[in-house]
Amino acid sequence: MSKHILIIDDEQPIRDLLSEYLIACGYRVTGTGTALEALDIVQETPPDLIISDLQLEDSDGLEMIAQLKEKLPLVPVILLTGVLFDPEVARDVLNKNVACYLEKTSPLTRILENVRRLLEP
Amino acid sequence: MKDHTIRRLLAVFLVIAAIFLSVAIAAVRNIDRSAASSDWVNHTHAVIDEAGALFAAIQAGDAALRTFLVTGDARDQAAIRDAAAQVDEHLEVAKALTRQEPESHQQFILLETLARQRAEFNNQIIAARAANDSAAMRTLLATDAGGGAIREFQRKTEQLKSTAMARLAEQDTANFLQAQKTRWTVWSGVALNVLLLAGAIWLIRDDINARRQLAASLQEANQLLEARVKERTAELVAANAQLSTENLERQWANQALEHQVRYNQLIIDSINDLVLVLTKTQKISRVNAAVIHLTGLPTTELINQPLKRIVRLAVPADSANSPLNDPLELALAEGRDLRDLPATLEDKRGKQTRVRLTLFPLRDGTKVVGGIVTLQLIQA
Repeated sequence: MSKHILIIDDEQPIRDLLSEYLIACGYRVTGTGTALEALDIVQETPPDLIISDLQLEDSDGLEMIAQLKEKLPLVPVILLTGVLFDPEVARDVLNKNVACYLEKTSPLTRILENVRRLLEP
Repeated sequence: MKDHTIRRLLAVFLVIAAIFLSVAIAAVRNIDRSAASSDWVNHTHAVIDEAGALFAAIQAGDAALRTFLVTGDARDQAAIRDAAAQVDEHLEVAKALTRQEPESHQQFILLETLARQRAEFNNQIIAARAANDSAAMRTLLATDAGGGAIREFQRKTEQLKSTAMARLAEQDTANFLQAQKTRWTVWSGVALNVLLLAGAIWLIRDDINARRQLAASLQEANQLLEARVKERTAELVAANAQLSTENLERQWANQALEHQVRYNQLIIDSINDLVLVLTKTQKISRVNAAVIHLTGLPTTELINQPLKRIVRLAVPADSANSPLNDPLELALAEGRDLRDLPATLEDKRGKQTRVRLTLFPLRDGTKVVGGIVTLQLIQA
Protein backbone atom coordinates (compact mmCIF):
# COMPACT_ATOMS: atom_id res chain seq x y z
CA MET A 1 0.00 0.00 0.00
CA SER A 2 1.53 3.31 -1.06
CA LYS A 3 1.90 6.13 1.43
CA HIS A 4 -0.81 8.78 1.51
CA ILE A 5 0.17 12.44 1.21
CA LEU A 6 -2.20 15.36 1.74
CA ILE A 7 -1.38 18.59 -0.13
CA ILE A 8 -3.04 21.76 1.10
CA ASP A 9 -2.51 24.83 -1.10
CA ASP A 10 -4.86 27.49 -2.39
CA GLU A 11 -3.05 27.69 -5.74
CA GLN A 12 -4.53 25.05 -8.03
CA PRO A 13 -1.52 24.87 -10.46
CA ILE A 14 0.90 24.35 -7.55
CA ARG A 15 -1.34 21.63 -6.10
CA ASP A 16 -1.77 19.87 -9.45
CA LEU A 17 1.93 19.88 -10.36
CA LEU A 18 3.03 18.62 -6.97
CA SER A 19 0.31 15.92 -6.98
CA GLU A 20 1.31 14.71 -10.44
CA TYR A 21 4.96 14.54 -9.46
CA LEU A 22 4.39 12.66 -6.21
CA ILE A 23 1.94 10.23 -7.87
CA ALA A 24 4.60 9.54 -10.52
CA CYS A 25 6.99 8.81 -7.65
CA GLY A 26 4.64 6.17 -6.29
CA TYR A 27 2.64 7.98 -3.64
CA ARG A 28 -1.09 8.26 -3.17
CA VAL A 29 -1.97 11.96 -3.11
CA THR A 30 -5.03 13.95 -2.09
CA GLY A 31 -5.15 17.70 -2.68
CA THR A 32 -7.30 20.49 -1.33
CA GLY A 33 -7.29 24.30 -1.27
CA THR A 34 -9.24 24.88 1.94
CA ALA A 35 -8.62 24.19 5.60
CA LEU A 36 -12.15 22.90 6.10
CA GLU A 37 -11.81 20.23 3.44
CA ALA A 38 -8.35 19.34 4.74
CA LEU A 39 -9.78 18.63 8.19
CA ASP A 40 -12.47 16.42 6.63
CA ILE A 41 -9.90 14.46 4.63
CA VAL A 42 -7.76 13.94 7.69
CA GLN A 43 -10.82 12.58 9.49
CA GLU A 44 -11.80 10.16 6.69
CA THR A 45 -8.46 9.00 5.31
CA PRO A 46 -5.62 9.97 7.61
CA PRO A 47 -2.49 10.82 5.60
CA ASP A 48 1.06 9.67 6.32
CA LEU A 49 2.41 13.13 5.49
CA ILE A 50 0.98 16.65 5.05
CA ILE A 51 2.40 19.30 2.73
CA SER A 52 0.80 22.66 3.41
CA ASP A 53 0.99 26.31 2.46
CA LEU A 54 0.36 29.06 5.01
CA GLN A 55 -1.96 31.11 2.84
CA LEU A 56 -5.32 29.39 2.38
CA GLU A 57 -8.63 30.52 0.99
CA ASP A 58 -10.60 30.14 4.19
CA SER A 59 -8.13 30.12 7.06
CA ASP A 60 -4.76 30.96 8.42
CA GLY A 61 -2.37 28.12 7.74
CA LEU A 62 -0.77 28.30 11.17
CA GLU A 63 -4.06 27.73 12.90
CA MET A 64 -4.95 24.87 10.57
CA ILE A 65 -1.62 23.13 11.11
CA ALA A 66 -2.14 23.36 14.84
CA GLN A 67 -5.58 21.72 14.47
CA LEU A 68 -4.15 18.99 12.23
CA LYS A 69 -1.37 18.23 14.71
CA GLU A 70 -3.96 17.88 17.45
CA LYS A 71 -5.68 15.18 15.41
CA LEU A 72 -2.56 13.53 14.02
CA PRO A 73 0.34 14.38 16.31
CA LEU A 74 2.68 11.82 14.74
CA VAL A 75 2.10 12.78 11.11
CA PRO A 76 4.94 15.00 9.83
CA VAL A 77 4.09 18.32 8.16
CA ILE A 78 6.12 19.98 5.43
CA LEU A 79 5.54 23.71 5.18
CA LEU A 80 5.75 24.89 1.59
CA THR A 81 5.42 28.68 1.38
CA GLY A 82 5.97 31.51 -1.02
CA VAL A 83 7.98 34.71 -0.85
CA LEU A 84 5.78 36.43 1.69
CA PHE A 85 7.04 34.32 4.53
CA ASP A 86 10.54 34.69 5.85
CA PRO A 87 12.16 31.29 6.29
CA GLU A 88 14.04 32.33 9.40
CA VAL A 89 10.84 33.36 11.11
CA ALA A 90 9.14 30.16 9.97
CA ARG A 91 11.94 28.03 11.34
CA ASP A 92 11.70 29.65 14.77
CA VAL A 93 7.95 30.00 15.07
CA LEU A 94 6.87 26.68 13.54
CA ASN A 95 9.57 24.41 14.78
CA LYS A 96 7.38 22.45 17.10
CA ASN A 97 4.61 21.70 14.59
CA VAL A 98 6.49 21.52 11.30
CA ALA A 99 8.98 18.82 10.43
CA CYS A 100 10.42 20.65 7.47
CA TYR A 101 10.23 24.07 5.85
CA LEU A 102 10.59 24.52 2.10
CA GLU A 103 10.15 27.52 -0.19
CA LYS A 104 7.97 27.17 -3.22
CA THR A 105 11.00 27.99 -5.34
CA SER A 106 12.66 24.78 -4.18
CA PRO A 107 13.07 22.18 -6.96
CA LEU A 108 10.75 19.18 -6.93
CA THR A 109 13.67 16.83 -6.31
CA ARG A 110 14.41 18.60 -3.06
CA ILE A 111 10.78 18.36 -2.01
CA LEU A 112 10.87 14.62 -2.87
CA GLU A 113 14.05 14.13 -0.86
CA ASN A 114 12.35 15.54 2.21
CA VAL A 115 9.18 13.55 1.61
CA ARG A 116 11.23 10.35 1.42
CA ARG A 117 13.24 11.30 4.44
CA LEU A 118 10.11 11.86 6.51
CA LEU A 119 8.17 8.85 5.21
CA GLU A 120 10.96 6.30 5.01
CA PRO A 121 13.35 7.05 7.84
CA MET B 1 12.67 -29.57 -45.09
CA LYS B 2 15.27 -27.95 -47.29
CA ASP B 3 14.81 -28.14 -51.05
CA HIS B 4 18.12 -29.81 -51.81
CA THR B 5 17.37 -32.55 -49.24
CA ILE B 6 14.00 -33.22 -50.86
CA ARG B 7 15.68 -33.44 -54.26
CA ARG B 8 18.30 -35.84 -52.89
CA LEU B 9 15.68 -38.01 -51.20
CA LEU B 10 13.58 -38.05 -54.35
CA ALA B 11 16.61 -39.14 -56.37
CA VAL B 12 17.43 -41.87 -53.83
CA PHE B 13 13.87 -43.21 -53.86
CA LEU B 14 13.79 -43.09 -57.66
CA VAL B 15 17.00 -45.16 -57.76
CA ILE B 16 15.51 -47.58 -55.20
CA ALA B 17 12.37 -47.91 -57.30
CA ALA B 18 14.44 -48.47 -60.47
CA ILE B 19 16.54 -51.15 -58.76
CA PHE B 20 13.41 -52.81 -57.38
CA LEU B 21 11.81 -52.77 -60.84
CA SER B 22 14.96 -54.16 -62.48
CA VAL B 23 15.20 -56.95 -59.91
CA ALA B 24 11.52 -57.76 -60.37
CA ILE B 25 11.84 -57.86 -64.15
CA ALA B 26 14.93 -60.06 -63.92
CA ALA B 27 13.18 -62.39 -61.45
CA VAL B 28 10.07 -62.69 -63.63
CA ARG B 29 12.20 -63.37 -66.69
CA ASN B 30 14.13 -66.05 -64.81
CA ILE B 31 10.88 -67.62 -63.60
CA ASP B 32 9.67 -67.72 -67.24
CA ARG B 33 12.98 -69.24 -68.28
CA SER B 34 12.72 -71.84 -65.50
CA ALA B 35 9.20 -72.73 -66.60
CA ALA B 36 10.35 -73.06 -70.23
CA SER B 37 13.34 -75.11 -69.11
CA SER B 38 11.09 -77.39 -67.11
CA ASP B 39 8.90 -77.94 -70.21
CA TRP B 40 11.99 -78.70 -72.26
CA VAL B 41 13.27 -81.18 -69.63
CA ASN B 42 9.90 -82.96 -69.56
CA HIS B 43 9.86 -83.04 -73.33
CA THR B 44 13.39 -84.44 -73.50
CA HIS B 45 12.56 -87.07 -70.93
CA ALA B 46 9.53 -88.03 -73.05
CA VAL B 47 11.80 -88.36 -76.12
CA ILE B 48 14.22 -90.53 -74.12
CA ASP B 49 11.30 -92.66 -72.87
CA GLU B 50 10.01 -93.04 -76.41
CA ALA B 51 13.48 -94.12 -77.62
CA GLY B 52 13.68 -96.63 -74.77
CA ALA B 53 10.16 -97.93 -75.50
CA LEU B 54 10.98 -98.14 -79.22
CA PHE B 55 14.03 -100.30 -78.54
CA ALA B 56 12.00 -102.44 -76.09
CA ALA B 57 9.35 -102.99 -78.81
CA ILE B 58 12.08 -103.97 -81.31
CA GLN B 59 13.47 -106.43 -78.77
CA ALA B 60 9.99 -107.78 -78.03
CA GLY B 61 9.35 -108.28 -81.77
CA ASP B 62 12.73 -110.06 -82.09
CA ALA B 63 11.93 -112.38 -79.16
CA ALA B 64 8.45 -113.19 -80.57
CA LEU B 65 10.06 -113.92 -83.98
CA ARG B 66 12.46 -116.41 -82.49
CA THR B 67 9.67 -118.09 -80.53
CA PHE B 68 7.53 -118.23 -83.66
CA LEU B 69 10.37 -119.85 -85.60
CA VAL B 70 10.46 -122.60 -82.99
CA THR B 71 6.71 -123.04 -82.43
CA GLY B 72 5.16 -121.75 -85.67
CA ASP B 73 2.24 -120.83 -83.48
CA ALA B 74 -0.14 -118.20 -84.80
CA ARG B 75 -0.20 -116.47 -81.39
CA ASP B 76 3.52 -115.90 -81.59
CA GLN B 77 3.02 -114.50 -85.09
CA ALA B 78 0.39 -112.16 -83.63
CA ALA B 79 2.87 -111.13 -80.97
CA ILE B 80 5.31 -110.18 -83.73
CA ARG B 81 2.65 -108.01 -85.35
CA ASP B 82 1.80 -106.39 -82.04
CA ALA B 83 5.45 -105.56 -81.47
CA ALA B 84 5.68 -104.10 -84.96
CA ALA B 85 2.60 -102.00 -84.32
CA GLN B 86 4.16 -100.71 -81.09
CA VAL B 87 7.35 -99.86 -82.94
CA ASP B 88 5.35 -97.87 -85.48
CA GLU B 89 3.42 -96.10 -82.75
CA HIS B 90 6.55 -95.14 -80.78
CA LEU B 91 8.23 -93.95 -83.94
CA GLU B 92 5.26 -91.73 -84.77
CA VAL B 93 5.18 -90.29 -81.25
CA ALA B 94 8.95 -89.76 -81.22
CA LYS B 95 8.93 -88.04 -84.61
CA ALA B 96 6.07 -85.83 -83.48
CA LEU B 97 7.96 -84.93 -80.29
CA THR B 98 11.15 -84.08 -82.21
CA ARG B 99 9.51 -82.20 -85.04
CA GLN B 100 11.11 -78.94 -83.84
CA GLU B 101 14.51 -80.65 -83.24
CA PRO B 102 16.06 -81.50 -86.58
CA GLU B 103 18.98 -83.47 -85.19
CA SER B 104 16.88 -85.73 -82.96
CA HIS B 105 14.23 -86.00 -85.64
CA GLN B 106 16.86 -87.17 -88.13
CA GLN B 107 18.03 -89.80 -85.68
CA PHE B 108 14.49 -91.13 -85.32
CA ILE B 109 14.17 -91.19 -89.16
CA LEU B 110 17.30 -93.34 -89.16
CA LEU B 111 15.82 -95.58 -86.46
CA GLU B 112 12.65 -95.78 -88.52
CA THR B 113 14.69 -96.98 -91.51
CA LEU B 114 16.32 -99.61 -89.34
CA ALA B 115 12.90 -100.59 -87.94
CA ARG B 116 11.50 -100.93 -91.52
CA GLN B 117 14.42 -103.11 -92.48
CA ARG B 118 13.85 -105.24 -89.40
CA ALA B 119 10.14 -105.50 -90.15
CA GLU B 120 10.96 -106.61 -93.73
CA PHE B 121 13.36 -109.18 -92.35
CA ASN B 122 10.69 -110.45 -89.98
CA ASN B 123 8.13 -110.71 -92.79
CA GLN B 124 10.58 -112.72 -94.89
CA ILE B 125 11.30 -115.07 -91.98
CA ILE B 126 7.60 -115.48 -91.25
CA ALA B 127 6.91 -116.26 -94.91
CA ALA B 128 9.72 -118.84 -95.01
CA ARG B 129 8.41 -120.42 -91.84
CA ALA B 130 4.92 -120.53 -93.16
CA ALA B 131 6.23 -122.26 -96.32
CA ASN B 132 8.42 -124.61 -94.22
CA ASP B 133 11.32 -123.46 -96.33
CA SER B 134 14.14 -124.33 -93.97
CA ALA B 135 16.88 -123.38 -96.39
CA ALA B 136 15.47 -119.91 -96.86
CA MET B 137 15.05 -119.55 -93.11
CA ARG B 138 18.66 -120.56 -92.49
CA THR B 139 19.85 -118.16 -95.14
CA LEU B 140 17.89 -115.30 -93.68
CA LEU B 141 18.99 -116.11 -90.13
CA ALA B 142 22.58 -116.31 -91.31
CA THR B 143 22.35 -112.70 -92.46
CA ASP B 144 21.31 -111.79 -88.92
CA ALA B 145 23.89 -113.93 -87.20
CA GLY B 146 24.94 -112.44 -83.84
CA GLY B 147 21.95 -110.00 -83.77
CA GLY B 148 23.91 -107.31 -85.58
CA ALA B 149 20.79 -105.38 -86.69
CA ILE B 150 19.42 -105.31 -83.16
CA ARG B 151 22.76 -104.17 -81.75
CA GLU B 152 22.90 -101.43 -84.40
CA PHE B 153 19.43 -100.30 -83.39
CA GLN B 154 20.46 -100.43 -79.77
CA ARG B 155 23.62 -98.42 -80.48
CA LYS B 156 21.65 -95.76 -82.36
CA THR B 157 19.05 -95.63 -79.62
CA GLU B 158 21.69 -95.30 -76.89
CA GLN B 159 23.42 -92.60 -78.91
CA LEU B 160 20.17 -90.67 -79.15
CA LYS B 161 19.50 -91.12 -75.45
CA SER B 162 23.04 -90.12 -74.46
CA THR B 163 22.79 -87.02 -76.64
CA ALA B 164 19.53 -86.13 -74.94
CA MET B 165 21.00 -86.83 -71.50
CA ALA B 166 24.00 -84.63 -72.33
CA ARG B 167 21.60 -81.83 -73.29
CA LEU B 168 19.71 -82.38 -70.05
CA ALA B 169 22.97 -82.08 -68.11
CA GLU B 170 23.83 -78.87 -69.98
CA GLN B 171 20.36 -77.55 -69.29
CA ASP B 172 20.69 -78.48 -65.66
CA THR B 173 23.98 -76.58 -65.45
CA ALA B 174 22.42 -73.63 -67.23
CA ASN B 175 19.46 -73.75 -64.83
CA PHE B 176 21.81 -73.80 -61.85
CA LEU B 177 23.77 -70.86 -63.19
CA GLN B 178 20.55 -69.02 -63.93
CA ALA B 179 19.32 -69.64 -60.39
CA GLN B 180 22.64 -68.39 -59.03
CA LYS B 181 22.41 -65.33 -61.21
CA THR B 182 18.87 -64.72 -60.03
CA ARG B 183 19.90 -65.04 -56.40
CA TRP B 184 22.84 -62.69 -56.96
CA THR B 185 20.63 -60.19 -58.74
CA VAL B 186 17.96 -60.28 -56.05
CA TRP B 187 20.38 -60.08 -53.12
CA SER B 188 22.46 -57.39 -54.83
CA GLY B 189 19.30 -55.38 -55.45
CA VAL B 190 18.17 -55.86 -51.84
CA ALA B 191 21.61 -54.90 -50.51
CA LEU B 192 21.78 -51.85 -52.76
CA ASN B 193 18.29 -50.79 -51.73
CA VAL B 194 19.15 -51.25 -48.06
CA LEU B 195 22.23 -49.09 -48.56
CA LEU B 196 20.20 -46.46 -50.37
CA LEU B 197 17.53 -46.55 -47.65
CA ALA B 198 20.28 -46.14 -45.06
CA GLY B 199 21.53 -43.16 -47.06
CA ALA B 200 18.01 -41.73 -47.19
CA ILE B 201 17.66 -42.18 -43.42
CA TRP B 202 21.02 -40.47 -42.93
CA LEU B 203 19.89 -37.58 -45.13
CA ILE B 204 16.62 -37.24 -43.22
CA ARG B 205 18.43 -37.41 -39.89
CA ASP B 206 20.96 -34.84 -41.11
CA ASP B 207 18.15 -32.58 -42.23
CA ILE B 208 16.29 -33.02 -38.93
CA ASN B 209 19.48 -32.13 -37.04
CA ALA B 210 19.99 -29.11 -39.26
CA ARG B 211 16.39 -28.06 -38.65
CA ARG B 212 16.81 -28.54 -34.90
CA GLN B 213 19.96 -26.43 -34.94
CA LEU B 214 18.18 -23.80 -37.02
CA ALA B 215 15.21 -23.83 -34.64
CA ALA B 216 17.57 -23.52 -31.66
CA SER B 217 19.39 -20.65 -33.38
CA LEU B 218 16.10 -18.96 -34.16
CA GLN B 219 14.92 -19.40 -30.60
CA GLU B 220 18.19 -18.00 -29.31
CA ALA B 221 17.94 -15.07 -31.72
CA ASN B 222 14.34 -14.48 -30.68
CA GLN B 223 15.28 -14.55 -27.01
CA LEU B 224 18.14 -12.15 -27.69
CA LEU B 225 15.83 -9.88 -29.65
CA GLU B 226 13.18 -10.10 -26.96
CA ALA B 227 15.77 -9.23 -24.32
CA ARG B 228 16.96 -6.30 -26.41
CA VAL B 229 13.39 -5.13 -26.94
CA LYS B 230 12.74 -5.40 -23.19
CA GLU B 231 15.99 -3.58 -22.46
CA ARG B 232 15.18 -0.90 -25.04
CA THR B 233 11.61 -0.62 -23.75
CA ALA B 234 12.91 -0.25 -20.20
CA GLU B 235 15.32 2.43 -21.41
CA LEU B 236 12.51 4.22 -23.23
CA VAL B 237 10.24 3.96 -20.18
CA ALA B 238 13.03 5.31 -17.99
CA ALA B 239 13.77 8.08 -20.51
CA ASN B 240 10.09 8.91 -20.71
CA ALA B 241 9.83 8.99 -16.92
CA GLN B 242 12.93 11.18 -16.81
CA LEU B 243 11.43 13.52 -19.43
CA SER B 244 8.14 13.65 -17.56
CA THR B 245 10.00 14.45 -14.35
CA GLU B 246 12.08 17.12 -16.07
CA ASN B 247 8.95 18.56 -17.65
CA LEU B 248 7.22 18.66 -14.28
CA GLU B 249 10.33 20.23 -12.77
CA ARG B 250 10.32 22.94 -15.48
CA GLN B 251 6.64 23.61 -14.96
CA TRP B 252 7.24 23.77 -11.21
CA ALA B 253 10.14 26.20 -11.69
CA ASN B 254 8.02 28.40 -13.97
CA GLN B 255 5.18 28.27 -11.49
CA ALA B 256 7.52 29.19 -8.64
CA LEU B 257 9.00 32.03 -10.66
CA GLU B 258 5.57 33.33 -11.58
CA HIS B 259 4.56 33.06 -7.96
CA GLN B 260 7.61 34.97 -6.87
CA VAL B 261 7.20 37.71 -9.49
CA ARG B 262 3.50 38.04 -8.71
CA TYR B 263 4.12 38.44 -4.98
CA ASN B 264 7.06 40.80 -5.53
CA GLN B 265 4.82 42.96 -7.66
CA LEU B 266 2.13 42.63 -5.04
CA ILE B 267 4.49 43.95 -2.39
CA ILE B 268 5.62 46.89 -4.53
CA ASP B 269 2.09 47.70 -5.57
CA SER B 270 0.94 47.68 -1.95
CA ILE B 271 3.22 50.63 -1.15
CA ASN B 272 1.44 54.02 -1.31
CA ASP B 273 4.65 55.94 -2.18
CA LEU B 274 5.69 56.09 -5.82
CA VAL B 275 8.41 53.56 -6.51
CA LEU B 276 10.49 53.67 -9.69
CA VAL B 277 13.31 51.36 -10.63
CA LEU B 278 16.03 53.11 -12.67
CA THR B 279 18.83 51.92 -14.84
CA LYS B 280 22.26 53.38 -14.34
CA THR B 281 21.45 55.96 -17.05
CA GLN B 282 18.32 56.99 -15.10
CA LYS B 283 15.84 55.38 -17.46
CA ILE B 284 12.73 53.96 -15.87
CA SER B 285 12.69 50.16 -15.94
CA ARG B 286 9.82 49.44 -13.58
CA VAL B 287 7.13 51.35 -11.66
CA ASN B 288 4.54 50.51 -9.04
CA ALA B 289 0.83 51.07 -9.30
CA ALA B 290 1.05 54.42 -7.45
CA VAL B 291 3.18 55.93 -10.26
CA ILE B 292 0.65 54.91 -12.89
CA HIS B 293 -2.17 56.23 -10.76
CA LEU B 294 -0.63 59.66 -10.07
CA THR B 295 0.88 60.34 -13.50
CA GLY B 296 -2.06 58.93 -15.47
CA LEU B 297 0.48 57.40 -17.84
CA PRO B 298 0.32 53.72 -18.77
CA THR B 299 3.31 51.52 -18.10
CA THR B 300 4.18 51.41 -21.82
CA GLU B 301 4.69 55.19 -21.85
CA LEU B 302 6.82 55.14 -18.70
CA ILE B 303 9.14 52.21 -19.24
CA ASN B 304 12.46 53.05 -20.87
CA GLN B 305 11.79 56.79 -20.55
CA PRO B 306 14.24 59.06 -18.70
CA LEU B 307 13.23 59.85 -15.13
CA LYS B 308 13.46 63.54 -16.02
CA ARG B 309 10.37 63.20 -18.18
CA ILE B 310 8.16 63.02 -15.09
CA VAL B 311 10.44 64.04 -12.17
CA ARG B 312 12.52 67.17 -11.81
CA LEU B 313 14.72 68.00 -8.86
CA ALA B 314 14.38 71.45 -7.34
CA VAL B 315 18.00 72.64 -7.87
CA PRO B 316 19.58 76.12 -7.92
CA ALA B 317 19.02 77.99 -11.22
CA ASP B 318 22.69 78.40 -12.02
CA SER B 319 23.45 74.67 -11.95
CA ALA B 320 20.27 73.30 -13.46
CA ASN B 321 21.72 72.65 -16.87
CA SER B 322 25.06 71.31 -15.79
CA PRO B 323 25.30 67.59 -16.00
CA LEU B 324 28.20 67.66 -13.56
CA ASN B 325 25.83 68.94 -10.92
CA ASP B 326 23.15 66.23 -11.40
CA PRO B 327 22.86 64.76 -7.85
CA LEU B 328 21.16 61.58 -9.07
CA GLU B 329 23.94 60.85 -11.55
CA LEU B 330 26.63 61.57 -8.96
CA ALA B 331 24.91 59.44 -6.32
CA LEU B 332 24.55 56.50 -8.70
CA ALA B 333 28.16 56.86 -9.82
CA GLU B 334 29.38 56.98 -6.22
CA GLY B 335 26.89 54.42 -4.90
CA ARG B 336 25.41 56.85 -2.37
CA ASP B 337 21.88 57.29 -1.04
CA LEU B 338 19.98 60.54 -1.60
CA ARG B 339 17.27 61.30 0.89
CA ASP B 340 14.31 63.63 0.87
CA LEU B 341 15.40 65.87 -2.02
CA PRO B 342 12.65 68.32 -3.06
CA ALA B 343 11.32 67.57 -6.53
CA THR B 344 8.24 67.89 -8.74
CA LEU B 345 6.20 65.19 -10.44
CA GLU B 346 4.49 65.99 -13.73
CA ASP B 347 1.43 64.07 -14.82
CA LYS B 348 0.28 63.50 -18.40
CA ARG B 349 -1.71 66.76 -18.43
CA GLY B 350 1.36 68.76 -17.28
CA LYS B 351 0.12 69.24 -13.72
CA GLN B 352 3.00 69.38 -11.28
CA THR B 353 2.95 67.96 -7.75
CA ARG B 354 5.59 68.57 -5.13
CA VAL B 355 7.32 65.47 -3.83
CA ARG B 356 10.35 64.37 -1.79
CA LEU B 357 12.75 62.16 -3.68
CA THR B 358 14.83 59.43 -2.13
CA LEU B 359 17.35 57.38 -4.13
CA PHE B 360 18.86 54.02 -3.12
CA PRO B 361 21.57 52.61 -5.35
CA LEU B 362 20.59 49.12 -6.66
CA ARG B 363 23.51 46.81 -6.03
CA ASP B 364 24.22 43.47 -7.56
CA GLY B 365 26.95 42.32 -5.25
CA THR B 366 29.44 45.15 -5.14
CA LYS B 367 28.39 46.64 -8.43
CA VAL B 368 25.80 49.42 -8.76
CA VAL B 369 23.49 48.46 -11.61
CA GLY B 370 20.76 51.07 -11.12
CA GLY B 371 18.68 52.71 -8.47
CA ILE B 372 15.38 52.69 -6.64
CA VAL B 373 13.61 56.03 -6.46
CA THR B 374 10.76 56.63 -4.07
CA LEU B 375 8.62 59.80 -4.23
CA GLN B 376 6.68 60.92 -1.20
CA LEU B 377 3.94 63.45 -1.73
CA ILE B 378 4.41 66.68 0.25
CA GLN B 379 1.15 67.47 1.93
CA ALA B 380 0.04 70.99 1.35
